Amino acid sequence: MSLESPESNEETLTHNVEFELNGSPERHCVPTSATVLDLLRNSCGKQGVRASCERSVCGACTVLVDDLPVAACSTFAFDVDGARVETVEGLAAQDGTLSAQQQAFRECGGFQCGFCTSGMLMLTTALLRQNPQPEREQIREWVSSNTCRCTGYEMILESVERAAELAGAKQQDQVSE
Amino acid sequence: MTGFVNPRTPDDEPIVGRDRPRLDSTMKVTGRAVYTVDIEKPGMLHAKVLRSPYAHARILSIDASAARSLAGVTAVVTREEIIGLHSYGTYVKDQPIVATESVRYVGDVVAAVAAVDERTAFAALDLIRVEYEQLPAVFDVRAAMEPSAPAIFPDQPFAAYPEYGDGASGAAHTAHNVSYEFRYETGEESVWADCDYIFEDTFTFSRMNHMHLEPFATVAEATANEIEVWTSTQSPFPMRKELARVFGLPENDIRVNVPLLGGGFGAKNGPKTEAIAIRLSQLSAGRPVRYCMSTEEVFLTLSQHDAILTVKSGLKADGEFMARQSRVLLNGGAYADASPLVAEKAGYRMPGAYRWKRIDSVCQAVITNSVPAGAYRGFGATQATWASERQVDLIAERLGFDPLELRLKNTKELGEEFVPGETPIDSDLKHGLILVADAIGYRDRTRLSNRGMGVAIGIKDGGGVNKPAQARVKVTTNGDVFLNCALVEMGQGGHSALCQIVAETLGCDPKRVRYAAIDTDNTPFDQGTNASSGIAVMGHAVRQAAERVKCSVLDTAAEHLMLDRQSIRLDDWTIVDAEGTTYELPPLIMERFGGTGFEFTADGYYKARSASSAPLEAPCIFWEIGWAAAEVEVDPETGRVELLQLVVSGDAGKVVNKLGCRGQDEGAAVFGLAQALFEELRYDDGELLNGEALLYRVPLAEDIPRRFSSITQEQGHGAGPFGTKGMGEGGMLPIAPAIAQAIADATGAQLTSLPMTPERVYNGIRAARVRHGGADGNA
Ligand code: FES
Ligand code: FES
Repeated sequence: MSLESPESNEETLTHNVEFELNGSPERHCVPTSATVLDLLRNSCGKQGVRASCERSVCGACTVLVDDLPVAACSTFAFDVDGARVETVEGLAAQDGTLSAQQQAFRECGGFQCGFCTSGMLMLTTALLRQNPQPEREQIREWVSSNTCRCTGYEMILESVERAAELAGAKQQDQVSE
Repeated sequence: MTGFVNPRTPDDEPIVGRDRPRLDSTMKVTGRAVYTVDIEKPGMLHAKVLRSPYAHARILSIDASAARSLAGVTAVVTREEIIGLHSYGTYVKDQPIVATESVRYVGDVVAAVAAVDERTAFAALDLIRVEYEQLPAVFDVRAAMEPSAPAIFPDQPFAAYPEYGDGASGAAHTAHNVSYEFRYETGEESVWADCDYIFEDTFTFSRMNHMHLEPFATVAEATANEIEVWTSTQSPFPMRKELARVFGLPENDIRVNVPLLGGGFGAKNGPKTEAIAIRLSQLSAGRPVRYCMSTEEVFLTLSQHDAILTVKSGLKADGEFMARQSRVLLNGGAYADASPLVAEKAGYRMPGAYRWKRIDSVCQAVITNSVPAGAYRGFGATQATWASERQVDLIAERLGFDPLELRLKNTKELGEEFVPGETPIDSDLKHGLILVADAIGYRDRTRLSNRGMGVAIGIKDGGGVNKPAQARVKVTTNGDVFLNCALVEMGQGGHSALCQIVAETLGCDPKRVRYAAIDTDNTPFDQGTNASSGIAVMGHAVRQAAERVKCSVLDTAAEHLMLDRQSIRLDDWTIVDAEGTTYELPPLIMERFGGTGFEFTADGYYKARSASSAPLEAPCIFWEIGWAAAEVEVDPETGRVELLQLVVSGDAGKVVNKLGCRGQDEGAAVFGLAQALFEELRYDDGELLNGEALLYRVPLAEDIPRRFSSITQEQGHGAGPFGTKGMGEGGMLPIAPAIAQAIADATGAQLTSLPMTPERVYNGIRAARVRHGGADGNA
C-alpha cells in the first residue's frame, strides 16, 4: 500500500491525476499502478478510508466516484482523473455537524469496531441519493455488498432506515423554510 | 477487595442503562478513529514475510544474500538472526519468531524482510532461496495421535501451566503430538450403574477464521535495549511480558501502545506481527518498521479449533440426566498458541446447563500440520455446546421427549452450583429458555411440512481466571476526567461503558470522561481484554477508582469550606451542601492548590479471590448464558435450509449501554449462524482451499433472517458493578444447536457435523428416512 519513496530501487511510470475530492480540487502525481486507496490514504491523507481485503470483496474501502460506490482498493488511481470523489471525511458539514447517515449510525449503533463504518456510510450515501426512501429489501441488498464482522447487520439496516428518515426530515425542513 | 455492594435503584442511575450513542461514535462515523494500521512514523520501513509452501519440511539451507544486498532492503531475518531469542506461546512456548529447524504448516514464517516500501520487500522475498527436505505431514487429529505419525515437535518445547483445583488437572505432552491435555471429574463412577439408558454419540465441529476486518498489524521501533510497539493486541500487558521473555529484556524497557482495534474476536492475543517487526527494526538501526498482514496472511496465522467430540450420557427412564463423559480432540494446528486454554474450557464446560451426578471430561489439544488454532469468541464453549446440546436433542428423539421439556427438566436452577467449588448459576436458565421459545412461537405452533423449530442454551464461565484489573481516574481543576486503564476497545464498546461507569459515579456528563490512550508505561496493569471481563472485572476497578476520586474531592471540599463531610455531595463538578447551596469547584481548587490548579487522582483494583476448591483455581466471576430459538424451512429435494426466524438472548444482569448489549448478542449470534450453515475453512488433504477473502464466505446482510431479533435480559444477579454481567460470547453458543434441532424437527435429519451444508442436510434426510423405515421424515 505504500507509495514510492526516494530510496526505492525501481523506476516507475507515473501519471498526473486531477479530481475533485469532497468538493475541493486535488492534483497528484502517482505511479500508474497506484489504486484509489493508495491515492486517498497516502497522497491525500484521507485515513478514514479503510482497507481490509484489498480484493474488492469486503467493501471497507468504499468511496463514491461520481455518486457511485466503488471499491477504492480495486480501482486504479488514473480512473478517477476528472471525477468527483467523496469519502467519509466529506460527509459532515464544515462546522462538524454530522450528516443524516452519520447521525443515524451513531444513534442506532450501526457500528462496533468501526472498521467497516466508513464504507457502510458511503454505501448508504449512494443508496439514498438513488432512492431517498428505500424499502428494507433494497437496503438489505445494498448492504449485502459490504462486510461487517461485528454487528450482525440488523442494527446497520436500522441505521440506514433511520438515515433515510432523518434525511427526509431535513429536506422537509429546507422546503418549509 | 471485593466489589461495591450498593446497587441503586434504576431511578437514580441516570447514565448507566441508557440507550445513548457510544462515546466513540463520533470518531467512528467521521473516519477519525485511529487504528494500528493508521500509525505512521517518520522514516518508517515496511515488512513482508516469506512463508513455507510445505506442510512439514526440514529446512536444509537458507540463502538470503541476494535479498540483503537489494537496494532499499534494510534487514532480513532468518533463523540466523534469532539465535538466543525465545519462542512464544500461552502455556507451551513452541512458536519461534521465524522457523528454525523445520516448517510445520503451509504458511509458517521462514524469513522476514524490511525495506523502504512493500514492493521492495516483496522483491527481496523473491530473492531468498530456501532448500527444504519434505517430511510426512499429518492433518487429522486421530491420525496425528497414532504412534506412527510424524512427531511435529521431536523435542518437547518448554511449558508451564496452572495448578488447578478440585477435580481438575492439566499437563503438556501427554500423548504423541498432544500439546496439552485437560481433565475434569466430579461425582462417583458408580452413578453409571444407576442409569436406565446410556447413549454415546460423536460430533464434529468445524473451523472458522476470525476475519476481523483490521488485519494483524504492528509498528515497532526497537534497538537491542529498548522496544516500543504500536500494535493491534487485545492484551497489552501479557504482550509486554511475552516480548520481554522473547527478547530477554526487562519489562520496563518495553512499551506497548494499543490504538483502537478493528475487531479481535480472540485472535489478537499473543504475538502475531510484533516480534517480526521488532527484530527487523533492531536490525535496521532502530528505524520504525511496519508489518501489516494481508487478509491472505491472516488466514495463515490463526484459526478456530475444529474438534471431534465424543459424548456419553446416562439417564433415568423418566429423562433425568445422571452421568456424562466426554472425550474431546481439538485440532490445535502446528503451534500451541492458546490451545491449552481452549482445551481447559472445552473440557470444563461439557456439563452445559444441566444437572449431572457424575462428570468426567478429557480434552486433548492435538498438534497437526495446519494453521495454528487459538482463542476464538466463546472458545471451548462453542465446541462443547455443539456436542452437548446436539446430544440432548438426539436423546429426546430416541426416548420420545419434547426437546424443550427434556431441557427444562434437567436445567440447573438459579443459585445451584455448576460443579462443586464453582460460582452458583447466576441466571434463571429456564426463564430464558421459555422466553426465546415463546418469542418464535415454539409452544403453540401449528406443524407445517418441512418447517421446524429448535431451542438451545449455551453456558460458559465468564470473566476469566486470575485477572487482576487496575484502573486510574484523574480529574482536572475544571472537572475534565481521564479514565486510564488497559481495556482494549475492539468494537465491544468497553471504553464507552467504562466511561459511563465513571460518569455515573462522579455525577458528570459522560462526554466529560476521556478514555486515555493505552500505553504500558503509563496505563495501570490489566491481564487482558478477554473472557467478556470488561464490565464485570474491570468495571469494579474503574468504579472503585472513581469512588475514591470522589471521596478525595469531597474530603478536600469539606475541609476547605468547613462543612460536614457527610452532608455534602458532588454534582457536575459542583459541591452541593445540605441546604442545596452550591460551590463551584474550580475556584475552590485554585484557592487551595494555587493558580495552576490540581489533578485529583485515584486508583482502583479488583481481583476475584482464588480458591483451591474451585476447579480452575478461582470461581468464575459470572456465568455467561446464551439462549436461542430458531425456525427453519428445509427444501427436502436440495437440502437447502432457509432460516425463517432466529431469536437470541443474553442476560446482561444490568444493562450499562443498551445498544452495546444488543450489538454484542446479535454480532455473536451471526457468528453462530454462519458456523451453523456455511462458514468454514475448507481443507483438502491439509491444503487450505479458501484462505482468501474472495473464496471465504462470511455472513452478509442477505444471510440474516428477516425475523432476527435479540432480547437483552436484565435478571439482576450479576457480580459486576450495578449487578452487571459480561456479554459478547454467550450469543454465539446456542445458535448452531438451535438451528440443527430446527432442521431435525423439520425433516428428521439429525446432523452431527458443522456446517450444515445442503449436502449434509440432504444426506441427513435420506438417513432419517431409512431410520424411520422409509416413511417420510416429516412426521
Ligand atoms: S478493502 Fe476494498 S473491498 Fe475490501
Ligand atoms: S463494526 Fe466492526 S466490522 Fe463492522
